[in-house]
Order: sequence, then C-alpha cells, then structure tokens
Amino acid sequence: MLTALSVELLKLNRSLAALLAVAAPGLIALFIFFNLLRMDQAQDWFMVMMQAAAIWAYFMLPMGVTALTALVAQMEHGPRSWEHLFALPVRRWRLLAAKAGAVFLVVAAMEAAVLMLAAGAGALAGLIKPGIAPTGVIDWSAMVWLHARIFAAGALLTAIQLWAALRFRSFVPGLVLGIGGTFFAVVATSAKNGVFMPWQMPVNVLATDPARADLALMLGLGGGVLVLGLMLAHLSRREVV
Amino acid sequence: MTLAIETCGLTRRFGGRTAVQDLAMQVPAQAVYGFLGPNGAGKTTTLKMLLGLIRPSEGRALIEGIDVAADRMGAARKVGALLEAHGLHANLTGRENLEITRRLLALPRGETDRVLEVVEMRPDAHRRVSDYSLGMRQRLGIARALLGAPPVLILDEPTNGLDPDGIADMRGFLAGLPARTGATVLLSSHLLNEVEQTASHVGVIFAGRLAVQGPLADLTARAAPGLDVEVDQPDRARPLILARGFDLAEGDGLSVRLRPGDDVRAAAAGLNRALVEAGIAVFALTPRRRSLETLYRHVADQNRLPTAHKEAA
Repeated sequence: MLTALSVELLKLNRSLAALLAVAAPGLIALFIFFNLLRMDQAQDWFMVMMQAAAIWAYFMLPMGVTALTALVAQMEHGPRSWEHLFALPVRRWRLLAAKAGAVFLVVAAMEAAVLMLAAGAGALAGLIKPGIAPTGVIDWSAMVWLHARIFAAGALLTAIQLWAALRFRSFVPGLVLGIGGTFFAVVATSAKNGVFMPWQMPVNVLATDPARADLALMLGLGGGVLVLGLMLAHLSRREVV
Repeated sequence: MTLAIETCGLTRRFGGRTAVQDLAMQVPAQAVYGFLGPNGAGKTTTLKMLLGLIRPSEGRALIEGIDVAADRMGAARKVGALLEAHGLHANLTGRENLEITRRLLALPRGETDRVLEVVEMRPDAHRRVSDYSLGMRQRLGIARALLGAPPVLILDEPTNGLDPDGIADMRGFLAGLPARTGATVLLSSHLLNEVEQTASHVGVIFAGRLAVQGPLADLTARAAPGLDVEVDQPDRARPLILARGFDLAEGDGLSVRLRPGDDVRAAAAGLNRALVEAGIAVFALTPRRRSLETLYRHVADQNRLPTAHKEAA
C-alpha cells in the first residue's frame, strides 16, 4: 500500500496539482497580507489566523478540492493510464486507495500551508507597516487542532469530489458538482440545515455553537470514510472500456 | 504444442452489438503472433479481455493456462502490455514513468536501467515525456511492457509513430524476442508488411470473428496466387475471366485470383490467349507473389461477401 502511495506522490512531480497545492493557500495568505495593510489598527494573532481559517474553510477548500481532484484524476484519464494500471498484477482497490490517500495528503499539506503562510503574511505585513503588526502570540496548538478539524470535516466533500472526478473521463461533471456545491454552501450559509451539506461542513467546524461544530466534524469525517469505501467498491469493479 | 494464449468461445457484447464472437485464438509459446483486422473488427476488445480490463460475455481467455476471469492477478503476472494509448505521464521523465510500474511490480531498481538499455533510451531517460517524439514514447511504452521480463507480451500497434529506421529496429527486436528471452509476443497491427516480416503466426479477425489463423508460412502457401491483368477493355474482359473459372478480387483493376495449385505461367498464357482471341488487347499480365497481403485480401473478400449478398437481396 505504501508503495502504491509513493507512486501516486511521484506522479505529482511537476504537475498542475502540485502547483495548485501551493497556489490555493498562497492566495489566502495574499488576501491576509493586503487586508492587514489596508487596516489602521492592529489585530491580535487569533483574529488574523481565524480569518485565514474561515476564508479557507468557507470557499477556498471546497473549490481547491474540486480543482485538485479534477487534476489528479485527469493525470490518469488524460493519457488513459487506467488501462495500463488496471492490467498490472496489483489489486485495483489498492491503486484507487493510494490515489485517495495522495489526495488527502495533499489536502492536509494545503491545510498546513494555509497555517504557515497566513502566519508569514501577518508577520510580513507587520514588518512593512509596524502599526498594524498583529499583537500577542499565535496559539499554534489551537490553530493546528482547528485546521485538523477543518480537514477532517472536509473528508466527505473530498471523497465525493474524488469519486466524481475518477468516475467520469471528462472533468466537467466533477467541476459542475464542486462549483454547484460550493455555490449552494455559500448562499445557504445561515441555513439551519446547511450543516448537512458536505461543502459546508468544513466551515461549520468554526461555528460558535459547539454542538453544530461537532456535528459537522462527525458527519464530514464519518461520511468521508463511508463514501471512500463505496467509491473503492464501485470503481474497482468497473470495466476499462 | 504448448499454447501461451488461448481463447475458447470468447464473446463480448456491448448492448445489442457483438464486438467479438466465439473467438478461438491459439498463440503457441514463443511465437510472434500477428493479430490483424480492419478498424472495429474486435482486436482491441480481444486484447482488453486478455488483459482482464473487460469481462467476456461468454467463453474464456487463458494466459499460460491461467483463466483471466478466474485469476486476473495470476494471469496479469505473466503479461507485459503496450496498449494503443501509452498511458505515459507527460509531466514526468522517462525514468520516472518506468519507476511507477517498477515500484508497483516490486522489481529491483536495476530493472529500469535494463529495459532502458533494451530500447536504447538510457541517454534520454532524464528528459520529460512531454519533450519526447511519438516514436520515443512508443519505445518507452515497450520498455515498460518489458519490466520484469514477462513471458507474454501483448503489443497494440507497436510500430506506431516510429520512423523507418525505428520500424526496422523494432521489427528485428520483436522477431528476435522469443529466441532471446523465450517470450511470446502477440502484436496487433494494421501494417501487413510489418507483420509479415515479424510474425511467425498470424490471426485475422473480421467483424468479431477469427477468419483464419496459423503459421504464417502455411497460410501464405495456401493462399491462392494472383495475376494483375491490364487490358484495353476491362468490362469485356471481366466476364471472360470469370467464365474460365477464376475469381476477381475487389478493386479498380482486374486482379485475378487463381485457384490454389494453379500454375501461374500456364494460367497467364491461357488467359492471354483467350483475351487476345476475343479481340481484347493485353498490355500486361503480372503474377502476384503469395504474401500475407494476398491472404488478407482473400479473407477480406470472403468476409465481405455475405454483406454484399445481403445488400443485393
């Protein structure tokens, strides 16, 4: 299994998926940087880091996962590598599980990058304009825990997007699903039942109501594991016509 | 005769369409088997069933005696394949592309260098595949099929995209493979000339059915000899030729198919006499050698016949 995972990570070398993994968190950091520069008063680090986490969980994570899964799947659909891979004496579910593992590792790396780059953006803005330098210190353990929860709550949307991207040779169905899901998540932000929507689960981890945050985490993580299992069962049995 | 690949009643339907029907392919061990047929005849569907990528509707496929449907993994361990789509990752180097398969097959590191040497790609292995020519991609695909030295190689159009020198090299490489490694090669191709110079055995598929198969030498010996006839009045010549009991191959010119065992010189002399006596000027009578192309055309005409009859009816 680790071999198959190492192969999936090797495929990311010089790929657009790898570029996206850097660009999406980078955009969050860029926003934090310019947003701080336009302010007149300093904010504390907690607010700066929460702002980054919120924008990430609310919009950039669902959209980033949509693009990432499409790019990762196209790495196989484009050159029709499935034919070669599935003709090898390797269990198909292992190949697919490795693909899913690589996607989740990249999403985890993006979470870490959001954290690190947002802190870097805040520090840089403070150096350029000392008056708005964030005050206090970053509670790293709390922030790492928060991003771990966002990541876990995003498991369901990641699994759904990956399934759609791997199932269809065209990238369009996956993109339509991701854009549509994110759109409804945005317009239904305040809806009570929004917590049941996969694309809204990551941002619900930030809810002030702890029960809602825990429900989003539980549904996102549990649903993600379930959907991944179903995806492996379904795609392993499909013929490569 | 030990068979490396065997299919029994292999059939595949897609909805109401039958792509492959009752296929009984027999590929002897250490043969180079040329799998011929026009586009849409069922070659790729057959190869995909042999590789376990699609399931047969009926029948079974055996690789070195292992039933592909019952033990896909066991059969897959015996096969290296190059399919029409190379499945190479353009963002990776040639070596990285081979690494993917080498790691998945749990082969030693040196295996990558070995196959790169075989296809003479070692100096270019560090370059990205996006910078490769079509021929280089083809050779890299063959190198990947050779990883682990599988006893059976299934190659779909292996000379696609190669320049004339590359085709000649590939021809020699494939023809010599059984002697060098003991491998059996099943190659599908549209290039009759290439197959004729490479294959020891041939199978021809039309409309999903295997029309003919066997050792190439036997098949071409059995193929009827032919005569290309050039005259001033082809429309008058046609019934005269048919009246003498010869067949005419489909096409623009007068391509006479003699009967197996006919003496070409005697047949040419007789035809010449009959045509001249009928007042038809004969410009040329050119004997056609027995070749894979002659055989293929003959099989093609036979397999087109029922369709023509149906249309006429």
